[in-house]
Amino acid sequence: MTRLLSSALALTKRLFKIIFSFFCSIGEIVDFFLNCVKYSITEKFYVNIFLKQFLKIGFNSLPVVGLTSIFTGMVLALQSYTGFSRFSAESAIPNVVVLSITRELAPVLAGLMVAGRSGAAIAAEIGTMKVTEQIDALKTLSTNPFNYLIIPRIFAGIISLPLLVIVGDIIGVMGGYLICVNLLNFNPTVYLQNTYNFVQFIDVFSGLVKASVFGFLITFMGCYHGFNAKGGAQGVGQSTTYSVVSSSILILLMNYIITSFFFRL
Amino acid sequence: MRKKKIIVKNIYKSFKDKVVLNKLNLDVYKSESLSIIGESGSGKSILTRCIVGLLKYDNGSISFGNLNNINTLNDKEKMNYMSKFGILFQNSALLDSLNIKENLKFSSKQDSFNKILNEVGLPNSILEKYPSELSVGMQKRVGLARAILKKPEVLILDEPTTGLDPIIARQINLLIKNLVKKNKITTITVTHDMESVYEFADYVAFLKNGIIEWYGEARKINKSRNSSMINFIKGID
Repeated sequence: MTRLLSSALALTKRLFKIIFSFFCSIGEIVDFFLNCVKYSITEKFYVNIFLKQFLKIGFNSLPVVGLTSIFTGMVLALQSYTGFSRFSAESAIPNVVVLSITRELAPVLAGLMVAGRSGAAIAAEIGTMKVTEQIDALKTLSTNPFNYLIIPRIFAGIISLPLLVIVGDIIGVMGGYLICVNLLNFNPTVYLQNTYNFVQFIDVFSGLVKASVFGFLITFMGCYHGFNAKGGAQGVGQSTTYSVVSSSILILLMNYIITSFFFRL
Repeated sequence: MRKKKIIVKNIYKSFKDKVVLNKLNLDVYKSESLSIIGESGSGKSILTRCIVGLLKYDNGSISFGNLNNINTLNDKEKMNYMSKFGILFQNSALLDSLNIKENLKFSSKQDSFNKILNEVGLPNSILEKYPSELSVGMQKRVGLARAILKKPEVLILDEPTTGLDPIIARQINLLIKNLVKKNKITTITVTHDMESVYEFADYVAFLKNGIIEWYGEARKINKSRNSSMINFIKGID
């Protein structure tokens, strides 16, 4: 009985420790966010660093986002055809492709791709700077690391992701077009006309809002985990993993929240 | 007449259960070179990080000039305070995404760095290079140039010769000696290397178990009767 009681006590203690550390992490993330807001308002904005990061996160991610979008559009057209041909609704394929791409697939897939590519790179870069004392060096050189390292990256993420998604939207729709016209014998003019007539501003806009939020989440989590990296190479590796995992989960979570918000509109 | 520059009073610092600095007292005097020696993990680097303001201490106070307790400074004051220090970090801590010229520009907005490079014995051709293209010894020299370029009130050298071969270590020691003595900069050196101590230290503080166990003039270090320090100098555990 005593043994059972002590093991129950140990289990409760462990549970409380986990809950406590979870709330500590939330507190740290909120504190990090508030610092970002504070320093972005009160201190210098490094335009050069922002432009550099904009190119890194946005322009350099174009190939990976483009490839993802074109194949997604192609697969979507093929799979839609499989289903719609069963009840002679093939003409709805352009509508389904454009709706799925603009509202859902382009922003989510671009977000996940950029999280794996740029989010990991941000966490690794800032994490390495942390463990090699480069961030401490910045502080002693009268440079606020939030303004120099964090804020330009977050703004670059917020702005570049929607632009990437616009490109992804176009390429994704073109992927569907290629399959429908070349493989399923659709009339090219009718396909494009259907797409153009069906798509609404809100479809594209909701995707862009998602992309902006995802851009923030990716860069913020990358910066946060990199900035809190501890130890040596192992710590940097861990921060990279945490960054990709947390931003991917948050992307999927926020995707649902934003979708349900626009669903009510 | 010696004038106090930094007063460390009863500072206490612990990480979870491990006490690193245990009510430590230390005075650093203006224009003097102080070397802090001690075994690995004795808290030397933690002490200097507390002095610079990179780390908050749990208790006690550190005074610098008119500033009484640097733990209480706000962000802006802390930034201002840190700018009084020039630091050569253990692994130089040069920003590896920037070339040497851009690294040096953090300390001074000037366009020409010929003079400072000449002082630390480096050619101008390295300005366009990146830290990864330089040897460890050259990186240390650039780190030193970056530290003294901003004309600091206090120079902190964290293990300046660690990772260098004996010949380069000797060159770095001589370089530091020339710079420190010529410019009369208040210097705090954290080191394991007794050559550094003999070369340019005026005073020595021996740190053990979170307190200063021995403090005195560098030239009297070998006459000390402190057995822990004698063992440390002789390399005996």
